[in-house]
Amino acid sequence: MEGDGSTTDASQLGMPGEYMAGSHYVLQSQDDDCDESLHDHEEGNGSKENFREQDIYLPIANVARIMKNAVPQTGKIAKDAKECVQECVSEFISFITSEASERCHQEKRKTINGEDILFAMSTLGFDMYVEPLKLYLQKFREVRGSVCAPSAIAHAMLSRLVCMTNQLPAGIITADGQQQNVMVYTTSYQQIPGVQQIQFS
Amino acid sequence: MSSNNVEEKVNHASNSKGISLPMTRVKLIMKSSPDVSSINQEALLLTTKATELFVQHLALSSFNNGSGKDQTLLYSDLANTVEEKETFQFLTDILPKKILVRDYLKLLEENPIEEADN
Repeated sequence: MEGDGSTTDASQLGMPGEYMAGSHYVLQSQDDDCDESLHDHEEGNGSKENFREQDIYLPIANVARIMKNAVPQTGKIAKDAKECVQECVSEFISFITSEASERCHQEKRKTINGEDILFAMSTLGFDMYVEPLKLYLQKFREVRGSVCAPSAIAHAMLSRLVCMTNQLPAGIITADGQQQNVMVYTTSYQQIPGVQQIQFS
Repeated sequence: MSSNNVEEKVNHASNSKGISLPMTRVKLIMKSSPDVSSINQEALLLTTKATELFVQHLALSSFNNGSGKDQTLLYSDLANTVEEKETFQFLTDILPKKILVRDYLKLLEENPIEEADN
């Protein structure tokens, strides 16, 4: 006969890893075995039916590597910290995706696109990622453009441009002045309305 | 000559060893969200890259926030950061602070919660 809904039943306190609803604590076993506690947390998480979709995780090796590169070189990372971040990552992805998905639905679209993702980040307090991500996307597109375009096409475009203007436009020469390093980016290969040049700074 | 440059540019654009997370797995996680039908290539790319940024962000914040012993990032550092920083507060449910049973009992003693029976 509990007076309130929270699990303050003293008999439960004896069990290690029992998740106490409403108080944001999880019990650690007395011998302070961090790893076990983490697993207990996963299994004894409140209601039995709480089998969340977030049980899909990214490989811990990849996650750990990114963490390692982020902290100072002399830093170390505890094993349960790695596992923890692994879970957080899945949560993050779901968090962003739900928000993006909602916006998508609101606009009666079925496919989540890049804008939805960026918008979600902004909304959810990750706006500091937006600019780096935009930059990354831009560079990715540039590279894809150059990798996909056979060098013959690139060369042809360049030749045509030279013919049209009778000189090599200053804007198309990159910092080291080499023609071969010219990056041309077009949206289609069927027609070349104009060559958009993007230079790496 | 030009192929060298392309490789260089791929590495440059991919920002330190490229994307170090498997996009297929990221997609799987995204699709496990309710009502998600399809995700375009760009969205997947951005999410994957953002996840990388997120890991770096969380790890570094927690490390700097840490107790300072041994230069080791501990679970408790993560839990504390999540509690303190607004950006990470969506994680509070999955990152509860760990507490030893005896400490919890002590906490209860100091702040008794009403119970109908003993």
